[in-house]
Amino acid sequence: MESFVVRYRNLLVLLALLVAQILGLAMQVRRANSGQGDGQEVRLIRLWANGIVSPPEKILHNTGSGISWIWNNYFYLRHVREQNADLQKTVDRLRLEQAALLEDAKQGQRLQALLNFQQKYIYKTLPAEVIGTSGTEQSRVFTINKGKKDGIDRDMAVITPDGIVGKVRDVFGHTAQVLAINDQTSGAGVIMESTRIRGILRGNAQGRPEIVDVISDQRIKAGDKVLTAGGDQIFPRGLPVGVVEKVMNDPERDGFVDVILKPAAHLDQLDEVLVITATEPEFSKEQQQDIATSEALKGAEAEKQKTSEGMAEKLPGLVDPNLPADQQPLNDTSNPNPVSRPPMAIHPDRFTPENTTPSGGATQDSGQAVPRKPQPSKPANQSSPVPAPQGDKQ
Amino acid sequence: MSVLSADARREFEIHRYPALIYALVPVLAVVLQAWLPRVLGRFAWFDLPLVITVFFALSRRNPIQGSILGGVLGIFEDALSGHPIGINGIAKTLVGYLAATIGILVNVENHAVRLVMTFVLSLVGSATYFFVIRFLLGMSVDTNWMSELYKAFGNSVIALVLFPVLDRTKIRD
Repeated sequence: MESFVVRYRNLLVLLALLVAQILGLAMQVRRANSGQGDGQEVRLIRLWANGIVSPPEKILHNTGSGISWIWNNYFYLRHVREQNADLQKTVDRLRLEQAALLEDAKQGQRLQALLNFQQKYIYKTLPAEVIGTSGTEQSRVFTINKGKKDGIDRDMAVITPDGIVGKVRDVFGHTAQVLAINDQTSGAGVIMESTRIRGILRGNAQGRPEIVDVISDQRIKAGDKVLTAGGDQIFPRGLPVGVVEKVMNDPERDGFVDVILKPAAHLDQLDEVLVITATEPEFSKEQQQDIATSEALKGAEAEKQKTSEGMAEKLPGLVDPNLPADQQPLNDTSNPNPVSRPPMAIHPDRFTPENTTPSGGATQDSGQAVPRKPQPSKPANQSSPVPAPQGDKQ
Repeated sequence: MSVLSADARREFEIHRYPALIYALVPVLAVVLQAWLPRVLGRFAWFDLPLVITVFFALSRRNPIQGSILGGVLGIFEDALSGHPIGINGIAKTLVGYLAATIGILVNVENHAVRLVMTFVLSLVGSATYFFVIRFLLGMSVDTNWMSELYKAFGNSVIALVLFPVLDRTKIRD
């Protein structure tokens, strides 16, 4: 027995290592299938690996950034003053616009709270730099230089100004791992802008984002914009995801299609990203001031509008707010001043219109003219039944 | 490539390196493997941890050490990838074992032999990786063999340059 072990020592060690890793894989897959995520041991291994790899990665990244900074700030400065002045003007204008938008968003959120429907708005983002990748083509995970100590948390959305990028998968002290939307294990709720068809976005084996579980629909066409649907509790609603590149039949299910997307964000060339750290309003003093200015401006605008409305009330209008559009006086093409005719007298005498010369119309006691159809002239003493009054034909 | 007898094999020199090299080089390989694809994009056709596994396995000519080093480096890569830990681990354990076993049988001092071995072992590593993903985990995977060939070629070129540099750090008796 001893000689067997000694003789096949190398092979036995290899088998032991392989079996141990296969068992480890099986346990991880089982946990993943039951939706439990990584176990304590696996998380520890990831933490150690990240702790060892991240510091040198940061050094490499910072060295590269430093060289780039020196180049950009000392050797490539042209027209900076003019650009700065232009940008300052733009910033001033945008600050006011942003304040107005924030005010509107707050109001929208209040209304949604009233309707018991929660929707996330972006209120705070944290810029981060991409410092590393997973190192393998099959995994679309990358590392950013911000972690728990910077306020990053698991499942926070990661975006760029172009569109969504992914979500935070693992958080460490000073770094975090982000799972990109084109990874096979990712998932996000999306909606097509024009058709309003909803679906789940995930990466395919080729690393392209695709919408799965979509029922075949002729309206889905290449070029359609896709936005976040907001139902996944990670990405706020309405952020750009990409455009439809092609629609393919689902090979596993009849009647369903896979919609391949061209992502809006450049997932292969990410340098800086934004992590959405807060979806609740937290305004700085400057922003509060801007909002106050915006509100004051809005107040002046409202005052103007109120004055003009008051004037409009005093003047005759052609639009009646109480009537539907098709019955508005503006749309009435009939004669606005119908000829008024007096009602038929019950006891005609010499003063009844038919018996007098047509010198003018008489009015009713109530003073309201009720037009009638012209009646043929009859003798004054005729006691035949009086024709029933008829309504206006307008 | 000549197959040697057992007596001749014993005469082979087992290379030894300073502890710092054992510690630093594998870590640097993993760091560069994580960092360089960000710079090179989709042209990052290499697998530095695999190259380092092959180098130490060939130099030490010890299948157990080769397997363990390959396994540890693979697990490191898996830990950074977000995928289940063990996919790369299994692939590189096998590569480390095979490299050391071949190192016992064959004279691998020749650069051409090293180049061919690195190329073949890279393909073995890729095949094992896809096998684990596809058949053990049941995940769909894009098996682009052209890309794997490029990667194997890239590994061979890196090995051709790196191995002589690392050879210079070995402890001489």
